[in-house]
Amino acid sequence: METIWLAIFAVLLIGYFALEGFDVGVGMLLPLLSRASERAGEPGTAQDHRDRMVRAMAPFVLANEVWLVAVVGTLFGAFPALEGKVLSGLYPLVVALLVSWILRDAALWFRRRIDGPAWRAAWDALLCAGSWGLALTWGAALASIVRGLPGNPFDLIGLLYGAVVAAAFAFHGRAFTAWRLSGPTESGRAGRRLLFTAAVAALPAIAALIFTAASLLDHVAPPATLNVLSVIILPVTPIMVGAQVWVWRTFRPNRPGAAAARIPSFF
Amino acid sequence: MLDLARLQFAVTGCLHFLFVVLTLGLAPLVAIMQTRHAISGKPVFERMTRFWGQIYVINYALGVFTGLVMEFQFGMSWSGLSHFAGDVFGAPLAVETLVAFFLESTFLGLWIFGWNRLPKWLHLMCIWLVTLTAYASAFWIMVANSFLQNPAGAVRQGDHLVLTDFGALLSNPSLVMAFPHVIGAGLFAGSFVIIGGSAYQLFRKTPEQEFFRRSLRTGVVWGFVGSTLAVGFGYAQFGFIRNLQPDKFKGAVPGLSVELMTAIGQTTQFVVMLVLLPLLIGNLLARFRWVHPLLMIMTPLPFLAAILGWLVREVGRQPWLVYGKLSVADAMSPGLTRGMVTFSLFAFAGVLGLLALIDYVLIARTIRRGPARVDLGAVESAGPAPAPALAL
Repeated sequence: METIWLAIFAVLLIGYFALEGFDVGVGMLLPLLSRASERAGEPGTAQDHRDRMVRAMAPFVLANEVWLVAVVGTLFGAFPALEGKVLSGLYPLVVALLVSWILRDAALWFRRRIDGPAWRAAWDALLCAGSWGLALTWGAALASIVRGLPGNPFDLIGLLYGAVVAAAFAFHGRAFTAWRLSGPTESGRAGRRLLFTAAVAALPAIAALIFTAASLLDHVAPPATLNVLSVIILPVTPIMVGAQVWVWRTFRPNRPGAAAARIPSFF
Repeated sequence: MLDLARLQFAVTGCLHFLFVVLTLGLAPLVAIMQTRHAISGKPVFERMTRFWGQIYVINYALGVFTGLVMEFQFGMSWSGLSHFAGDVFGAPLAVETLVAFFLESTFLGLWIFGWNRLPKWLHLMCIWLVTLTAYASAFWIMVANSFLQNPAGAVRQGDHLVLTDFGALLSNPSLVMAFPHVIGAGLFAGSFVIIGGSAYQLFRKTPEQEFFRRSLRTGVVWGFVGSTLAVGFGYAQFGFIRNLQPDKFKGAVPGLSVELMTAIGQTTQFVVMLVLLPLLIGNLLARFRWVHPLLMIMTPLPFLAAILGWLVREVGRQPWLVYGKLSVADAMSPGLTRGMVTFSLFAFAGVLGLLALIDYVLIARTIRRGPARVDLGAVESAGPAPAPALAL
């Protein structure tokens, strides 16, 4: 039972990095990718190019970011003794992570709610800043957890690990836009590449998990709690997997049906 | 510092509830509108779904932002809670986040972006699944909160509580009447937004008279259902509370809050039942233009009552975090400094407060612009397509 919950926690954290990693990456690269499109001579303004990138990731964001909500819920339910220690030990980092996350999300939800170039450009700047904040604070947080929560998490090692996470997410984000905006001929190759970059984005989390697995098992909840969690949660996992697969089936590129071309994006 | 950490939790909690109560109310009403469209095929129901759905979705965003801070805050500021009661309290929170909210967010993404893309009945199924999982979320959060009010199903073992009877968590007397009370409060708030928005558009005599006449009717009918549930299950809680927390209303804040909430709930419920509901006959309510400003002014009432109710429940439990077992002061995370909590309080209150304000402006703007200019589920009008930005 303990190993099942360790595995669930690991799958959720790895899943978060592999999935939300590309949303964060696209956000980070927003100005760069739009400039690259401009230089490649594609028609449209810088704003048009940014819209195209956001439109590419928009249908996936809600389904991806909940993985982290589930990670923290699992930490609380199955490893309660660790939850308080880790989150309070990382207090300033968690504040920075939450503020970055909220600003990134607010930018997505609000950027199209009022027409006008200044409104949308301002939210796009926040989208980019929030995404950078997410990547860097995640790196610093993982580095701090692996080292047993030192006093100052913003040291050189923390920043270096932040840079590693940021690079991995950016790499993944770029591969995602290439896949999502690919034509029918290249989508197979772009898809395989996306799987590879997903593994790269997950690596920082996998490394941290390897270092902390023993400590997680030490702090696991007693069998009575785990049994209740298993009885309620394990039977619905197929529905959760099904819902996630449904998102990917619905929003994969080049879906047959030209009607999709005329649907404006909500984000 | 304890007061700062409490203030931070109270501010984010109140903001969270302000948005969540509307989410809980609008989700089923939007689902009903979409169902009526799927069955009757009438375009007005599709337009209603998209218009009120956009308001639901804009509101939902702030519910998520504030909810994230709530979830992380337990561990950040109150690690004593997870140490003392995590083996019990953590389980319902884990179910909420890992199952209910996980599915709610996934299905909402499918609903928002699957418009004109998913088959009609599957798309309809998405909004019903969103509603179902939103209710499940509310249920598990209330299970967790009810445990703090009345720690049933657990016994003390050494320095912490262990779970002995999960069934007792689910049949907690603090839960059984409070959950339908919250569901009623949600419908109450959701329908009052529909009533207020419709009154505004009817008062301004915009061309969308039929649209808002129908919306007003939906709002009043469900406002009656919601306010009756909220008031009925509100009164039903007093007996339980007297047994479980006899001093609940002794303090100034909970005492005043409970009286004001009861007054608002009771009066509004009477107004809906005895005035608004009968005036639906012959669409009198839509025709009596002088009533519409009054309806607009009434819109914040269920929100005010909801916050007051939350204050009663939470402040009335002080100084306990887990009633009779763990005090709030003892639950604070060791090692927090005044500077850290002040910094985070300003960061969260500042960011969330500002975003909440923007969110309400955007909701008001959506109502003012009317159903003709809704983003949700829109299809690009025929004409020169600005390719390739729309290539997806």
